[in-house]
Amino acid sequence: MNRQPRALLSVLLLGIIAFTGWRWWSGQKPPADSGTEIVFSAASTRGGVLTSSLRSEPRSFNRWVDRNFPTALIAHITQGTLVRINRTTQAVEPALAESWTASPDNQTFTLTLRETSWSDGTPFTSADVLFTFKAVYDPKVNSILASSLQVKGQPLAVTAPDARTVVIRYPGPFGPGIALLDNLTIAPKHKLEAALDAGTFAQAWGVATPVNELVSLGPFVLSRYEPGQRLVFDRNPRYWKKDASGAALPSLDQLILEVVPDQNAELVRLQSGQIDMLQQQVRPEDIATLRPLAEQGKIQLLELGVGTDPDLFFFNLRPQQWAKDPRGSWMARKEFRQAISHAVDRETFANTVFLGAGVPIWGPITPGNQMWFSPNVPRYAHSIDKAKELLAGLGLANRDADEWLEDEKGTEARFTLLTYRGNSSLERGSAVLREELRPLGIAVDVVALEQGALTERMVKGDFEAISFFFSSSNLDPAMNPDFWLSSGSAHIWNIGQATPATEWEKQIDDLMQKMMSGTDQAERKQVFDQVQKIFAENLPVIYFVAPRMYMGVSSRVGSMSPTILRPQLLWAADTLTVRSPGDAGQGGR
Amino acid sequence: MGRYLLRRLGFALLLVLTVSSASLLLTHLAPGDVTTEQALLLDPAALARRRAELGLDRPLAVQYLAWLSGAVRLDFGRSLLYARPVNTLIGERALNTAVLAIAALVLATVIGLPLGVYSGSGARSLGRAAVRVASILALSVPPLIGSLALVFLAARTGWLPVGGMTSSGGVDLTWSQWLADLARHLPIPALALALPLAATLERLQSQAIARAVREPFVTASRARGLGRAEAVVRHAWPVSLRPVLGLYGVMIGSLFSGSFVVEVVTSWPGLGRLMYDALKARDLYLVAGCAASGAFFLAAGTWFADALLAVADPRVRSQEAP
Repeated sequence: MNRQPRALLSVLLLGIIAFTGWRWWSGQKPPADSGTEIVFSAASTRGGVLTSSLRSEPRSFNRWVDRNFPTALIAHITQGTLVRINRTTQAVEPALAESWTASPDNQTFTLTLRETSWSDGTPFTSADVLFTFKAVYDPKVNSILASSLQVKGQPLAVTAPDARTVVIRYPGPFGPGIALLDNLTIAPKHKLEAALDAGTFAQAWGVATPVNELVSLGPFVLSRYEPGQRLVFDRNPRYWKKDASGAALPSLDQLILEVVPDQNAELVRLQSGQIDMLQQQVRPEDIATLRPLAEQGKIQLLELGVGTDPDLFFFNLRPQQWAKDPRGSWMARKEFRQAISHAVDRETFANTVFLGAGVPIWGPITPGNQMWFSPNVPRYAHSIDKAKELLAGLGLANRDADEWLEDEKGTEARFTLLTYRGNSSLERGSAVLREELRPLGIAVDVVALEQGALTERMVKGDFEAISFFFSSSNLDPAMNPDFWLSSGSAHIWNIGQATPATEWEKQIDDLMQKMMSGTDQAERKQVFDQVQKIFAENLPVIYFVAPRMYMGVSSRVGSMSPTILRPQLLWAADTLTVRSPGDAGQGGR
Repeated sequence: MGRYLLRRLGFALLLVLTVSSASLLLTHLAPGDVTTEQALLLDPAALARRRAELGLDRPLAVQYLAWLSGAVRLDFGRSLLYARPVNTLIGERALNTAVLAIAALVLATVIGLPLGVYSGSGARSLGRAAVRVASILALSVPPLIGSLALVFLAARTGWLPVGGMTSSGGVDLTWSQWLADLARHLPIPALALALPLAATLERLQSQAIARAVREPFVTASRARGLGRAEAVVRHAWPVSLRPVLGLYGVMIGSLFSGSFVVEVVTSWPGLGRLMYDALKARDLYLVAGCAASGAFFLAAGTWFADALLAVADPRVRSQEAP
């Protein structure tokens, strides 16, 4: 009989204990690691260890065949390119090529190589450059860099008159000019030639390769790889670059990438001071968590600006998709897409999906890409009436008692939207889209798939609509031809067309060819503005909001050059500094 | 006994083969393969060459038979993702998972069984009700929330490292320093795994011992003059272990095959994470290898639990004797 009161009493007791514990804990001083105010001297220091998170492990150290972000990041840290696009200014800077000249037609570039050596002491020469081109263009290698190192579908012709000179001849005029070479990570001939000859280049430099076999031209060398845990990079003593005062770079003694697969755990580690920076931008929902710490001076919340790779939404525009589908007569029409663009309130979208940290957009080039953004594209103001008018023009009306529109044959205005499971902005964005289209009478069935399945469906054309993201590594549209050209492998709404399926795609193809081969920057911009206009009129991809991006970094990190493109801070890892409390002679943590 | 062991070994091999084969075939049936993520970067011809290189262009039956001929010799092939032998990859991670699993198993046992005996063997009291409520709470909290709460606790207090298995300076440490470093990293993931298991053990043990103390032989032992505590420990507890030890088989299997959630949240480099990465990338052979390893541990765990039961419960020994 007395069982129930006792149980209740014990619950109450537990509650009291828990509450008291919480109050006590809240009243406690925060741990020494994160609580004591950090006071640093203003001057940058040399030396020290910087720890960043890495969300997934590298599958290979072979940058020439592996496309994953960890591999690309490791290449940024350890390898070199002939020239470098400065991610903050977009200017082309000398790197392993200390200077170059261009022919009057801007198709032949003669590069003078820097006198430097690989981390194992082997001299870097033009033979390495020739070898790299040979490897990238070898069909047996299947290099992911091959297509990005072509002009008009043709490879570049490379010769080397001597050990320090390389002549690169483009098969035709190319607008970005020598900036194209920013893609090309130089491979060590003395280490990888045997693999190329044996036809095993693609398997070389796997993650099981002993780290002393991996040589560097970049600021750091990989000194330790603990699978599943971390990668440790030591300063490359033979790195060629010096800072403004003439001191050898990199400034850091060591750079550590800690593998932290979970984004919540990653945030907790930054808060507790166990890592110095996040691998990528802070999620909108985490900004409020970090802001108080930023105000206390424990971390820096860097605003990078408006993102340049916004989430995108597109329909399948392959003619065969809709050939036998009764919805084809209106689903593939641009008026349908324009109606959707009108129906979505971009302010609501920004508030719901990005918690207010976003700006409305009407095309793939966002205000974050200042050089190429055009404000003069058709905009679709939020208007349900206008959207309904466009749908009525397609013969869609509510012909029965339910809330959905139907065409003349009674087919309901309904489509399935595939999205990427686990990506919070895409999942939220898809839910917002479904709710925004409901008042219009369009039903959206959202299906979240994991990334591999989604990509497979996209590539095979087995979908009706997709909400996805697409990362580009370069802001110049000429460097992303696969997206813009109808024949491109990333022309996601209708991949790899033999001939343009529509008149407007042909117009874009022609304009892009002109823009890619132009050498006058103002003229290129003008041509690309036209491309953006045609794109926004036809809306093969609909864009709603571009997020404002933030990076969370420990207060002890200095000399940063943050950029909107990944890797936002580690692209210039050679100049990063960390300040230890001891440098200031006061404070500590 | 020999026939019994042979029978169990045969069952274990069959289980390993069936589970790994099923995993391989199901992964094959899922859309996409390991080359899919390059589909937007490579042209179709290059993609086809890549698939051919990996042997993915062959019919499923051919791929499966090739894999099976290796698997029966315990060679699970090469990972398509990491281009390394599956056995090596599993070996590296299985050791890490085993360290975590053993710690969690010991913790769960040390916490769960005594509390279960305490809560089930006596009259109702405030203490016993508190144990019951705590167990129900621990059982109700999803592993993700439990792990995150512990990680948050570690970050807030600074008492323990937030994640990882060792510190970044681990390579320069002596053996004993390395062990101490490991011991500092172990409590958070081990507790995240152990708490729900301890709660399960407590509940099961509590009910089992409550039944056992009512058995006539326990009453008889009390009548012979044994104290209550002694009667419970010497007579009721061994008998009550039967359902509890049965659970150990499943627990060992699940712990040693890796917990994806706990390993991801606490950045523990174990088998759970490896299998998740393999599944995401559709690495057929690595998935099959991880599944085989999980099935092996399940079979081994069940066998171990049976052996423990035979030691603990005289009635089981007597059943096996003929």
